[in-house]
Amino acid sequence: MLEVLAQGAFAEPMASITLAHYLVLSGAMFVLGLVGFVTRRNLIIMFLCTEMMFQASGLALVAFARYSMNLDGQTFVIFVLTVAAAEAAMGLALVVLLFRKQESLSAEVWNQLKG
Amino acid sequence: MSQMLLPGAILLPLVFAALVALLPQERARSLALVGMLISAIPVLGLLFSFDYAHAADFQFAGSMQWIAEFGLEVSVGIDGVSLLLIALTGLLGPLCVLGSWTAIKDRTRLFFTWLLILQAAMIGVFAARDLLVFYVCFEFTLVPMFILINVFGSTNRKAAAIKFFIYTFTGSMIALAGLVYLAMHTADAIGHWTFALDDLMLHASTMSGTEQAWVMAAMLAGFAVKVPLFPFHTWLPLAHTEAPTAGSVILAGVLLKLGTYGIYRFVLGFVPLAVVEHAPLLATLSIIGIVYAGLICWVQTDVKKLVAYSSVSHLGFCVLGLVAVNTTGLSGSVLYMLNHGLSTGALFLLIGFMYERYHTRDMGQIGGLAAKMPVWASFMVFFTMASVGLPGLNGFISEFLCLLGTFQSSFGLAAGDANPGATPGALGPWFALFAATGMVIAAIYLLYMVGKVVWGPLVEPEGHDDSHTGLPIDLSAREITTLMPLAIACLVFGLYPKPLMQAIEAPVNSVVASYELEAPAATIEHAEPHDSGASEPEADH
Amino acid sequence: MLDLAPIAMTLAADSPAAVASAPAWVMLIPAMPMIGVVLCTLMSIMGVRSKLPAFVTVACLAVSFLLTVFMFTGHSEGWATAVGWEWLHYSWGDGNGQNFTANFAFAVDGLTILWMLFVTGLATLIALYASEYMATDVGQGYNRFFIAFNLFVFSMACLVMGSNLLMLYLGWEGVGLCSYLLIGYYYKKPEAVAAAKKAFIVNRIGDVGLALGVYLAFVHFGTIEYTELFASEKLQGYLHDAAEGHWSHIPWQASAIPLFLMVGAFGKSAQLPLYVWLPDAMEGPTPVSALIHAATMVTAGVYLIARTYPLFQVSEIALPIVAWVGTLTALLAATIGMAQFDIKRIMAYSTVSQLGYMFAGLGVMTSVGAGFHVLTHAFFKALLFLACGAVMHGFAGQLDLRKLSGLWKVPGWRIVTIGMFVGCLNLAGFPLTAGFFSKDMILAEAFVTPGFALIGWILLFTAGLTAYYTFRVFFRVFVGPVEYHAGDDHHGDDHAHDDSHGDDHDAGHGFHPHAPGWAINFVLATLAVCSIVAAGLYFIGDHGWVAGMIHDSTAHIDPHGDEAGGSHGSAALFGLDPHKAMYYISSVVGIVGIIFAYAFHLHGRKSAGEAPAADAFKAALGPIPRWAENKWYVDELYQFLFRGPLLVLSHIFRYVDMLLVDGLVNLMGWLPYAVGGRLRRGQDGVLQSYAASMAGGLALFLLVILLLVNQSA
Repeated sequence: MLEVLAQGAFAEPMASITLAHYLVLSGAMFVLGLVGFVTRRNLIIMFLCTEMMFQASGLALVAFARYSMNLDGQTFVIFVLTVAAAEAAMGLALVVLLFRKQESLSAEVWNQLKG
Repeated sequence: MSQMLLPGAILLPLVFAALVALLPQERARSLALVGMLISAIPVLGLLFSFDYAHAADFQFAGSMQWIAEFGLEVSVGIDGVSLLLIALTGLLGPLCVLGSWTAIKDRTRLFFTWLLILQAAMIGVFAARDLLVFYVCFEFTLVPMFILINVFGSTNRKAAAIKFFIYTFTGSMIALAGLVYLAMHTADAIGHWTFALDDLMLHASTMSGTEQAWVMAAMLAGFAVKVPLFPFHTWLPLAHTEAPTAGSVILAGVLLKLGTYGIYRFVLGFVPLAVVEHAPLLATLSIIGIVYAGLICWVQTDVKKLVAYSSVSHLGFCVLGLVAVNTTGLSGSVLYMLNHGLSTGALFLLIGFMYERYHTRDMGQIGGLAAKMPVWASFMVFFTMASVGLPGLNGFISEFLCLLGTFQSSFGLAAGDANPGATPGALGPWFALFAATGMVIAAIYLLYMVGKVVWGPLVEPEGHDDSHTGLPIDLSAREITTLMPLAIACLVFGLYPKPLMQAIEAPVNSVVASYELEAPAATIEHAEPHDSGASEPEADH
Repeated sequence: MLDLAPIAMTLAADSPAAVASAPAWVMLIPAMPMIGVVLCTLMSIMGVRSKLPAFVTVACLAVSFLLTVFMFTGHSEGWATAVGWEWLHYSWGDGNGQNFTANFAFAVDGLTILWMLFVTGLATLIALYASEYMATDVGQGYNRFFIAFNLFVFSMACLVMGSNLLMLYLGWEGVGLCSYLLIGYYYKKPEAVAAAKKAFIVNRIGDVGLALGVYLAFVHFGTIEYTELFASEKLQGYLHDAAEGHWSHIPWQASAIPLFLMVGAFGKSAQLPLYVWLPDAMEGPTPVSALIHAATMVTAGVYLIARTYPLFQVSEIALPIVAWVGTLTALLAATIGMAQFDIKRIMAYSTVSQLGYMFAGLGVMTSVGAGFHVLTHAFFKALLFLACGAVMHGFAGQLDLRKLSGLWKVPGWRIVTIGMFVGCLNLAGFPLTAGFFSKDMILAEAFVTPGFALIGWILLFTAGLTAYYTFRVFFRVFVGPVEYHAGDDHHGDDHAHDDSHGDDHDAGHGFHPHAPGWAINFVLATLAVCSIVAAGLYFIGDHGWVAGMIHDSTAHIDPHGDEAGGSHGSAALFGLDPHKAMYYISSVVGIVGIIFAYAFHLHGRKSAGEAPAADAFKAALGPIPRWAENKWYVDELYQFLFRGPLLVLSHIFRYVDMLLVDGLVNLMGWLPYAVGGRLRRGQDGVLQSYAASMAGGLALFLLVILLLVNQSA
């Protein structure tokens, strides 16, 4: 599989899967994440939704990289994953802290920045 | 040695500011006094080693490259006019410390640190020979003054400080735009960036009339607010009333002069076409300011506010002299900057001394203090008379020259044999006539003030107790020492202004010289309705 | 400070006119009073509580007077100048008029000497008088009084002796300051403070005129130094044109100068419409009224016009205006004076009236008559004021002529009464007194100058009124039945006299008038003698001593003046030489006035308060006397026309400033605040709505890009 990717062409059975498919998948994931983020109130769920949007963008990057046959996109994905991991660690820690403060995971209790 | 005088005058106050900030609170005021006095030594050195025979040249010049590719450098140098304004600053500094000796009781370290920093910034403005130094120092005076008002002022100090800062800062920003445009124009002309005033001045006059008008409008936005010229004056009474005594003294004595100095150095120097074109407008604003602010003084109840408004009225004369652009008017105007600093500074000190004792400035609550404080009253009458413009005292010379300059400055009175005393200019007898009503109005409001506060039956605020203040009933030796130098200066420069004139005449003549070339061009431009219509944008914003 | 200055002489190199250098010691004449100021200030600082300041003052002024006498004896024809130091000098070119020079310098000619003689002489005498008069204030007030007194003499000397118009201006405002300080001497009295303020401000209006006149003179002639200005070819040319009647050859700049200058003169010399300050100025101590507001300072306007007489002659309308203003002032003030009851105010109005005579004299081209009248008036009016002051001093501030009577018979008041009598005779123009001769010169000239006969008649009528109101005072206060009531104040001095007040209030019997001491009597006697002797000056020399002094100055009349009707030309009045005719006419008028005063105010008067004849006559006149007593409501008119509207305007400006000008500034500050206030509603602090708006923004952004791409495709 990796070998095939490196060669720059999709294998025969998958030839019918074009760039567009990947992008549609990526877009769908992104929209799902976004909708989830906007509609859900649970901080952890919202956090997972942001992760989903991250992965959607990662998928798009990989697809484009494959499409244009260079490795920049792939490299970016590695970065994104790394950052996402670090972010997950920090984010979850913050969520835990917030939970300790208010005994709730709802995002609505945190609106002190109201103008 | 003499090369170190000017940097010394600027940097010494900063060194002492650092010392005051670092050393304990109890030593702050004596250290500040020592600092001010030591900082005055290089200023004295400047006064004595200045070459008065070449007063128009910029002496003690020095410069330092900073970022060569942007033409940024730090350069200083002074001519006669700058010299005198620096001397005024150097004189008022120690007096401010002495005047605040007992008035500032808490956070003295903060107060005196900022006072010293302010001193350095003000000297820097007058010494600047390039736009960078000028503008940085010009703006930096705002910060210390903001803190002095905001922390040490009276009841409404926060609002006053914010208004002062934002108003003048907004104006200065627009002025910066104008100055940068000028620099761009120069850069276009000579192919590389420069901010040196000499280079700018050389190329500024190549701008078209319209460009000059816009640049002048932008610069005036900064300087007219600072002066303050009617109708941009409303921050001043508020700031003066709320500021601590030393703040008022510095504000009236020096900070306002930054505006007139800016007009003198930049507006007159850079955009002669626009000045000649719009001089009548500026003169009209000045005259409105003279009369309007003067009449407002008359109905004040707060004595400090009265003196504050009187500054607006007085500086109208100063601007009037500037836009007359002849030797008489400009000399008068520069003298006005000095004399107003001396006499109004002293009035603010006196009001401060009174305030320390009575904790009120309301003329309804205090009156007839001559009966109780004869020494204070004598000084009050003396400085009021200096402010009224009584001949023999300093205020007269400057007021007389500003008005004479306005009178002379006339195309209507043909110069030459018919009227040998007339000079080219755009004002004339009518402007002088209207401005001269300011002399009467000044007498009205200042005598009203003296009549209320000094003369009449003794009135003291209810429950006033002399022993509460911790001060003698009449002025203490320290307070008299504060006032004496100002009184002596008022008297000496009223009767013997020659030393001042020596320093002023040559630089002023060199400014006027550039106008004698411009004047005919300007008249031609006047004759063309299209051109003058195009460059009509209001010069007062 | 003057003695420290480099003393230099000038030999006006470029002026062909006779300009000699005066000896340096003439500068001591103004310097002596200045030394007096310094010494009195030092004594004030040291807290001297004795009469020392008075004697120092007298000594300084006496030296000054002696030097003036030396200056007089040593003076020959023409100008003599002495330069103290360079006061104001700068230039903007090398051409004619391209520099402004006003040295702190003094120039001496006949006019200067004439003025300085009586200024320093009277100042010395009045200082001596004041040493006793002010004695109740010994201490701080006494020192303050003499500081201002010396400063006044210094300023007056600068005014009169200055060698240029700027020096004159220095003295002009300097005397104004001293007048302000001295009127407001009793500063605890609100009326005194108000009067002082009024004097200064009204004078300031005049000063503006003077300043503008100086500006115009400089701009047009290129110099304000007397020696150069009056010798300039330009001015001589104009004078020639004026003499020929070619008024149109003179540019408006030249003929406008006197119009400005005269405003200054009207202010300082209390002429219409600026006379209102002088009567109020009587709030000051009486020696001040005598010196400043009767004898010297108020004649500064006459001096100004006399000094710049050539400038006045180049204007067709300037001198007629001066003449008419003077005449109308003389009449108006006399009518007010007739109806007053305060003797010091009567004297004040008579001063205004007599100054009117002087202006009329200048206006009808007899600078000699005006100068002579200034001189005689200085003596007899000072005498009258000082006599009134003695009364005021002795009767605890009583000045109402209805409450004093028969002082001649009160022990110790003989000299005062005699002094008063001499003064009254002079003021009334009784034959062969000094006042008679000087007034006649003006009257005769008015009658013989074509077109000014009406002025002559008005002035003659006024002379009758003057004689009446003068002797009204004398007959009421100094003769008749003895009766007096003490006044209710001890001139509001610094030191409380509350202990002595109580029983002084209304009773005549419990009160012992305080007869004047040697200083007051000596001064009164000296002045009385001077007033009488001054008449003799008329017979010295060709046309009198004063004529000699005036002819040696800028105030002399040019030949054309004689042609136009000089007093010794062919003109005649009732078939006689005008002066001779005038002697008879004005004698009659003066004596008639005195007879009226006698009939109304002495004949049949039984008490101080009631004079039956006068009261009956007054009743017959209806409300007119009351209007006159209220000064024809001129003060109220000014209040209504000028001060009131100006005050209203000030209040309006104050609100405009607060609401409109500052309101706009605050609006500019408020706008960002208001906009921000609207926008901040969007910031609800809920994470999801931020996210939603982010998403919305992103969507919008993509949509725009999509559209753009489609469009370009």
